[in-house]
Amino acid sequence: MTGAPIVFVVDDDPSVRSSLKFLLSTVGLQVESFDSADAFLHKKRPDAPSCLVLDVRLPGLSGLDFQRELAARNTPIPIIFLTGHGDIPMSVRAMKAGAVEFLTKPFRDQDLLDAVRIALERDRARREQDKDVMILQRRFDSLTSREQEVISMVVSGMLNKQIADQLGTAESTVKVQRSRAIEKMHAESLVDLIRMIEKLKGPSGKAG
Amino acid sequence: MQPRDPAEEIKRLQRCLNDLMSVLAVPAMWSGGEPSRIVHTLLDALLRLLQLDLVYVRLNETGGQAPMEMVRFPQSPKYIAQPHEIGVVLTHWLGPDPQQWPPLMRNQLGDRDISIVPLGLGLQGEIGVIVAGSERADFPQQTERLILSVAANQASIGLQEARLRSEQKRGASELDRRVAQRTTELAAANEALRKEIADRKHAEEDLRISEEKHRVIVEAANDAVVSMDEEGAILLANPATRRIFGYDPVEIVGKPMTMLMPEMMQKLHENGFRRYLATGKRHLNWQGVEVTAQRKDGQEFPVEVSFGELTSDGHKLFTGFIRDISERKQAEDRLRASERNLQTTQAELARVSRLTTMGELAASIAHEVNQPLTGVINNGSACLRLLANNNLEPDVLRRALEGIIADGTRASTVLARIRAFIKKEPAEKSELDINEVIQEVLVVLAGRELYENQVLPNHQLKTDLPSVLADRVQLQQVLLNLIMNGIEAMAAVSDRPRLLGVQSRIDESGDVLVAVSDSGTGFGLELDRVFNPFFTTKANGMGMGLSISRSLVESHGGRLWAAPNSPHGAVFSFTLPATGGSPE
Repeated sequence: MTGAPIVFVVDDDPSVRSSLKFLLSTVGLQVESFDSADAFLHKKRPDAPSCLVLDVRLPGLSGLDFQRELAARNTPIPIIFLTGHGDIPMSVRAMKAGAVEFLTKPFRDQDLLDAVRIALERDRARREQDKDVMILQRRFDSLTSREQEVISMVVSGMLNKQIADQLGTAESTVKVQRSRAIEKMHAESLVDLIRMIEKLKGPSGKAG
Repeated sequence: MQPRDPAEEIKRLQRCLNDLMSVLAVPAMWSGGEPSRIVHTLLDALLRLLQLDLVYVRLNETGGQAPMEMVRFPQSPKYIAQPHEIGVVLTHWLGPDPQQWPPLMRNQLGDRDISIVPLGLGLQGEIGVIVAGSERADFPQQTERLILSVAANQASIGLQEARLRSEQKRGASELDRRVAQRTTELAAANEALRKEIADRKHAEEDLRISEEKHRVIVEAANDAVVSMDEEGAILLANPATRRIFGYDPVEIVGKPMTMLMPEMMQKLHENGFRRYLATGKRHLNWQGVEVTAQRKDGQEFPVEVSFGELTSDGHKLFTGFIRDISERKQAEDRLRASERNLQTTQAELARVSRLTTMGELAASIAHEVNQPLTGVINNGSACLRLLANNNLEPDVLRRALEGIIADGTRASTVLARIRAFIKKEPAEKSELDINEVIQEVLVVLAGRELYENQVLPNHQLKTDLPSVLADRVQLQQVLLNLIMNGIEAMAAVSDRPRLLGVQSRIDESGDVLVAVSDSGTGFGLELDRVFNPFFTTKANGMGMGLSISRSLVESHGGRLWAAPNSPHGAVFSFTLPATGGSPE
């Protein structure tokens, strides 16, 4: 069950934290704030679309380092950077590393709210995608290893006869395994199956 | 003489005869022997034959032989004395002259009486003396005296012979020595002769080698070696000439030396050379002078030349050692260029560090001030949103307003703190020559800022200014700031020269005054505001420079003010109290 979207605010300045919380609450967003990157990392993320409003200048891990750290931990979360005195190289770096927006304090309320909206939408889409992949993965995992093998060969463009030769079985056996795999994967056709396997091979998938 | 038993008498005479035979046989044992051995044998024989208690011999000094004393006592001696001691006692008894000696003397030796018989050796006792002594009262009997005198004679003969032999031997060895000496002398003379011959050969060889060596050196030299005669015609050129000048040595021999020079050098050379031949005065240094030479292909290049002069058969020969220093020159140029680069870099560094300090300060100020501003704006925006939806609860509004007030207060505290921080920068004051500080700053700027911005610096620095008590770095900052402001104010000027003036003098109140003027855009109506913090006319300025500069000057007890320059631009002047002393 997917919860309500949530905005995480990481800023060491309490007045900035509380005013951000106030501002975001006026558009009905749930906000959780932290005074350091570490504090955020120790928090268990809820199962809901979320984004991060992050101050560049932080005690301990800096905002940009924190962005890299999150990428390294394979924790995808859209980030909106805030800075008291941003320079262009810094913002370029942040944007290249996948930030949604780079705002200089003080900023227009609408700019922040727009950025948050975009970030949450982006996270929602990613979660959808992840969920699809997860379902497909579960189906793929339910196949026997021989069925997985046959499917992989089918996807790579081999004919039933060739697959039978390579696996040392009868062509009729391959046909049976193939149709059973299509059925288990809930694929509507061979083309649909290929699309599914490609999706699984994507960033979060494991097949292939 | 008392009558004796005839048999006894015969026996005694027989024994005497036997003894005599023995004594006569003794020389056979010593034939060819050394005097010491003769004396040994003699003493032993007499001691045994005559049963003496003492027998002593002294041999006088003869040519080459040291005097010798010897003494013998029987097996169980009654006396123990050294030959020399016996000799002293005997001489005392007998007197110095052997001719005067009594034939017999009885005397006391130790606690006994002893009969002493001295006998000279040689005809006049010239060889020495032999003394026989016995405690027997009847010593010496006639036979004993006979044996003694025969023995002495025998010894004399033997010793004479020995002496003769030794003299012969000495003569022979002297002859040998002389012959050997002469032989050595001859050999030495021979050797000297041989050496002289060898030396001559060596000298000839050395000369040949030396000539060969010189030839090899000249041939192998890296430098071109070119000789010319009094007419200035080339006589000789080494192989390096080809590498350096491009001419084959054969090609230039007989041609004028000037062909190795560019046209403008040729006249100089000819004049100088003619003058030297006429007056002996050199128009340039002959050792390592740098001139320009010309290659066969017409290319000019720098060379270092050393000349040597040699007079042979009344003709002068000049040799030049010409080194191609193109590479060295290039290296020197590169070095100079890199030095210029270094200076540029230093200036750049100074600029960057100034910008960095200001930039960091700006970033810090921005961050510190923007935090509370963010709070203020967020709170205000949120309230407006709620108000638009008619959803602003009084409690919420109060909390927001409280937040806004707190943040506003905080922002003003931050600014106050920054001001305090700038003012409280600890100064290290010392007595300074203001002109020196101005020069330092201009040097830093000269490399880049002035040059790149096409600014003409014009400084009029009054000499003998009294020193000022100031922090050198802070003064540099103030000057740097004013000058950079001036340069930047002229950046947009293109229709007139960009003039930067730096002037130092004493003002009417006796303070040291420094004025920095520019021909820039000036400030029109903003004159009063330029010193306000955060006032700036520049796109990327912080507006802190003049404010900080004024604080720094005021902390030194001086004033900083601005005035319009005529006809264009601005003048920034500051004063510093003179310390009364003049800088050393």
